[in-house]
Amino acid sequence: MYESEPPFSLEVAQQPAASIRKRRKLPLKRAGEMGIALGYMAPGLLLLGLFLFYPAIRALWLSLSTTDLDGKITGFVGVAQYRLLFTSPAFWTSLRATLLFAVIVVPSTLLVAMGLALLADRELPAIGLFRTLFASPMAASVSAAALIFQLFYNPASGVLNDLLQHMGLGPVPWLTAPGWALFSVALISIWMNVGFTFLLLLGGLAQIPRELYEVADLDGISPWQRLTRITLPLWSPTLFFALIVTMISSFQVFGQINILTRGGPIGATNVLVYDIYRNAFFNFQYTSASAEAMILFAIVIVLTLLQFRIGERRVFYR
Amino acid sequence: MFTLKRKWMMSGLGIFATAALLAGCGSAAGGTTPTQQAQGQTTPASNNQGPVEIAFWHAMGGGLEPVIQELVSHFNSTHPNVHVTATFQGNYDDELNKFRQSGKEDGPDVIQVYDIGTRYMIDSGRIVPMQQFIDQSQFDLSKFEPNVLGYYSVDNKLYSMPFNTSNPVLYYNKDAFQKAGLDPNKPPRTYSEFAQDAQKLTVKNAAGTTTQYGAGIAIYGWFFEQELAEADALFADNNNGRTSRATAAVFNQSAGVNFVNWWKSMIDQGSMANLGRNTADTQKAFEDGKIAMTLDSTGGLTPIVDAVGNKFKVGVGYLPKPDNVPQDKGGVIIGGASLWITNSHPDKEEAAWEFVSWLSQPEQQALWHAKTGYFATRTDAYDQPIAQQFHQKYPQLEVAINQLHDTKLDYATQGALVGTMTQARQEVESAIESVLGGQQPTQQALDQAAQQISSQIKQYNLQTGK
Repeated sequence: MYESEPPFSLEVAQQPAASIRKRRKLPLKRAGEMGIALGYMAPGLLLLGLFLFYPAIRALWLSLSTTDLDGKITGFVGVAQYRLLFTSPAFWTSLRATLLFAVIVVPSTLLVAMGLALLADRELPAIGLFRTLFASPMAASVSAAALIFQLFYNPASGVLNDLLQHMGLGPVPWLTAPGWALFSVALISIWMNVGFTFLLLLGGLAQIPRELYEVADLDGISPWQRLTRITLPLWSPTLFFALIVTMISSFQVFGQINILTRGGPIGATNVLVYDIYRNAFFNFQYTSASAEAMILFAIVIVLTLLQFRIGERRVFYR
Repeated sequence: MFTLKRKWMMSGLGIFATAALLAGCGSAAGGTTPTQQAQGQTTPASNNQGPVEIAFWHAMGGGLEPVIQELVSHFNSTHPNVHVTATFQGNYDDELNKFRQSGKEDGPDVIQVYDIGTRYMIDSGRIVPMQQFIDQSQFDLSKFEPNVLGYYSVDNKLYSMPFNTSNPVLYYNKDAFQKAGLDPNKPPRTYSEFAQDAQKLTVKNAAGTTTQYGAGIAIYGWFFEQELAEADALFADNNNGRTSRATAAVFNQSAGVNFVNWWKSMIDQGSMANLGRNTADTQKAFEDGKIAMTLDSTGGLTPIVDAVGNKFKVGVGYLPKPDNVPQDKGGVIIGGASLWITNSHPDKEEAAWEFVSWLSQPEQQALWHAKTGYFATRTDAYDQPIAQQFHQKYPQLEVAINQLHDTKLDYATQGALVGTMTQARQEVESAIESVLGGQQPTQQALDQAAQQISSQIKQYNLQTGK
């Protein structure tokens, strides 16, 4: 049965196109289906509308206005707030920190999670234990993780510096030097992200048909070819999804920065979301916070679209 | 056809679910109705129909919350006509944010707000000045600490009732002093004494790594403000915003520069450790004997002394002063928080005042002092037996109280009244970090910070429409 079936069914890919053609012939029926679809989507749309679209539109409006101390709109100023941001060096520092953070976190998370998933994707005694252990960071809350890392990073009596000292290496100013702080905070994110990404990728691996590997083994394929010719292409939809999810979440990092560095030293960890938080909730700058949120939104949209345009060409959907 | 009908039915179910959800939201929002009703019932409380309900918001978490609850339940049991419900609302910042988002119905009647929130509370237009109740009931303030009253008085009016108050002090390791050949009963009083002692207290091992730094100060804007007051210098213009609304920051003068330079020179000499912004990290380093001197709040006294235990003897001294400032000038600014009565429910203000004035009595202040380590707001509270027992256990407190009493009240020690103080602190902290890290010379860093803060103050003044 396996031999008779081609590994990737072309039929599946053609089906939707065919059904679309069919639908076009019956506009009336199509309208009816649209109504049904809307009915099904109504609960979801309502929730999204209430808690996502409406606040987003309000934020856009706020970013074009001036407010009093309590955030009540007092006037309309157009794009003045955006102009102010783009000419402020602090905003650019914040933007740079945000991008740098993503550049550190995203590839490292994916690579570590890929490695762990490949290790765990085999039948060994007690493999369930390892899988649970590898996935366990996702059970930790950000604040708990940050507090534990705070003990590790403690400049005077931290575990990490004690270890380094035993190896004859000088103490590292984990959170107190601008050059190190972002990296130290990113390390926590990597550790925390790896759990979920691992689980996701392991699921992706499990969906690759075993018979492909069996056939390949019969052909005497090398482990490297096995990885690059079979695993990676068939893994790519999951990898692609993991990439986007990790990237979006790394743009939204907040908890560990709020607990460990509060944006310091000298703004080195003052990522956009943290800056938005300070501006909106401490500095009475609701409008510039909203403008920053809009810019962050635009960046994430553009990056996601770019990834879809460029990345999806390499993704192999079965 | 049949299937289409079924689909419609199912989709109708979706719409129904949506409606149910909306209704759910409605009833969630309507969840306030019972409380409103409850409030409606208590409103005629003035007509003797059960106690007046007072909502009290505070920011005292951890070990402080049980003390608040103890005080509140004591009040409730002795005042049958008023019932106070105390709610912990997160730290000071979170609490103030919630207050800003709350309305008349869901907001508090009494709220504890930190020192630097004073300007905002006055500008919010949602409070009744405490002075009004003091004048009405001829409440006696003569036993109160003048410096504590000074901070919360604006235009000679007491706007809020001081509650939990503290000061920064110098903490030092008496055993380390002895080992370094210094007199353990003579902590440094001036910048240069402090720097000399720090150098003597620095210990290196054979490999040349420092095992004990002479000192460490957390990069916390509060210490900068305190040291300005020690130098009798101002943080903001218009006499720290005390004679009229502040319009600019003025801390980038000699006193501020002098303080940061002093700090930086010890970092360069290797006698001072830079342990970052987290005060808890610096506190831990002191408790572990990694730094021999540090600055911290009096609020930390009991936890520090308890954490150190038998490891070494903890000494407490006055905050170091610049050499060129006479010891009888300048001093410390009171820190902590005060209680505000809101104007949400005029019919409850009387009951709110009953609670606030009760908390200010010597018995309550002594209990609060002895169970938390915060100062009492009035001197006669220290005569209470519970306070005296407390002082026997922690004799270091005397130094802290003396430091407060030795401080002469003027515009510098009254503290800056600036609406954007939280933001200003961050700017100052960044400036200090860039000086200590060698990225910027002191004057330039402070000039930049002052410029930033000045424009933030102007923005704030615009937003208040004043």
